[in-house]
Amino acid sequence: MARESLLIATIVELADNLVDDFDVIDVLTVLSRRCVDAIDVDAVGVMLASPGGELQFVASSSESMRILELFQIQVDEGPCVDCFRDGVAIVNRDLADSYDQWPVFAPRAIAHGFHSVHSLPMRLRGRTIGALNLFRSKLGLLDKEDVALAQGLADVATIAILQHRTSLDAKVLNDQLSYALNSRIIIEQAKGMVSQATRSDMDDAFSRLRTHARNHNLGLTEVANMVVSNALAATDLDS
Amino acid sequence: MPTDRLTTIFELLARHERTGAEGGALCSVAADLTDLSGAGIVLGSAGRTMTTFCTSNNAAQSLMDIETMLGEGPGVDACSSEGSVDEVNLPTAHKARWLAYTPLAVSAGAGAVFGFPVRIGAVRLGALSLFRNEPGTLTETQSSDAYLMSSVIARAILSFQAGALPGTLAAELEREATFDFSVHQAAGMVAVQGSMSVGDALVALRAHAFAIGVPLAQLAISIVVRDIYFDPNSDTWRDDLGSES
Repeated sequence: MARESLLIATIVELADNLVDDFDVIDVLTVLSRRCVDAIDVDAVGVMLASPGGELQFVASSSESMRILELFQIQVDEGPCVDCFRDGVAIVNRDLADSYDQWPVFAPRAIAHGFHSVHSLPMRLRGRTIGALNLFRSKLGLLDKEDVALAQGLADVATIAILQHRTSLDAKVLNDQLSYALNSRIIIEQAKGMVSQATRSDMDDAFSRLRTHARNHNLGLTEVANMVVSNALAATDLDS
Repeated sequence: MPTDRLTTIFELLARHERTGAEGGALCSVAADLTDLSGAGIVLGSAGRTMTTFCTSNNAAQSLMDIETMLGEGPGVDACSSEGSVDEVNLPTAHKARWLAYTPLAVSAGAGAVFGFPVRIGAVRLGALSLFRNEPGTLTETQSSDAYLMSSVIARAILSFQAGALPGTLAAELEREATFDFSVHQAAGMVAVQGSMSVGDALVALRAHAFAIGVPLAQLAISIVVRDIYFDPNSDTWRDDLGSES
């Protein structure tokens, strides 16, 4: 598949994922496999940072890649770790020359049959959210176009993930808002009912609801709900 | 987002806060920015009750009350529509569209009405409802301003809520909004007075407010201070002295 159309096809496929059931692992697995198909590498892995900032393995094109990615995290050493931390691409790094830099990782990767590694940052507007790692078994270098294509794919995935995260936050907040608003409405309705039934004012009515909730170890909204649904008579509230 | 228009919005919001003008800031700025007669924001979506967040003036409040009472209108539709909703000549509009809403909205002074979704992607918070006293379409500028404003409203509301303790409404949200809790208190009272559900009490309240031509909030307050009450025996509303209200 021609490079440009690969990029377009990937964008289209990722865009399809930008719906409620967006699955990050799906998206990144697509990305990993596309890279192996289009670029002259043998294994691709993706790591994303958790909200706390630690790198986590998310997807890869093969099992041995998964093992190596996990290993990097475990020993806190390797191209992915460096790339994520610095936000800068690592390209065409010969593993045989990298023992100083990655004393534990380099021999392990070589043992798995790889010769060179590349790690591209997943970055948008100054934020690095993870890294795309490409491992190659053959000798020789990746050319500029390969690197550009891989970075392009990484960029598309980054945008997709960040857009999804924004809307996830929005969803959570919206649900919280909805719940909070609803609770408040029910509490006001319960106050009205208690105020009328016990011939007291709104403050007094509110106190009764709170006292009852405290005495019976119930939430205020729960008690209000019981009053509004007539499961609990306003006149039966502790006062 | 067009930066200079956004700057204008923030300036208008800041000015509103400084002058302590009435009506929620987000609503008032929405009306100002689009140069229309009034604006209201409603929160809700399919499956959630609709609550008025704020309105820019009394006329906007009446229109919002009509929409939330009937569950019909531009704001209600915009809570689930893809794009904006409009009726540019309400008095001559095809009645079947909003059968109950149209005549009431026309009496309340609306010539043209518009609804814009308030959303962030797939997450829907509610809608911005705008009206003009005279019929007529929106210009392109007005339309894009309304879309921009809806976006600002969505983010503002969520960022207010982000600062709240779990399960509670953010304090800024309560200040910013003019949620009418007295209506709900009144509904609770009427529910007990008339031995009916709170839901039925809300409907009865709204119907009576329209019947006697007063804003819902005003009737609600009269009930809360016990100037008016519902008498189940005669199925009527009475005032303190026992005469019909």
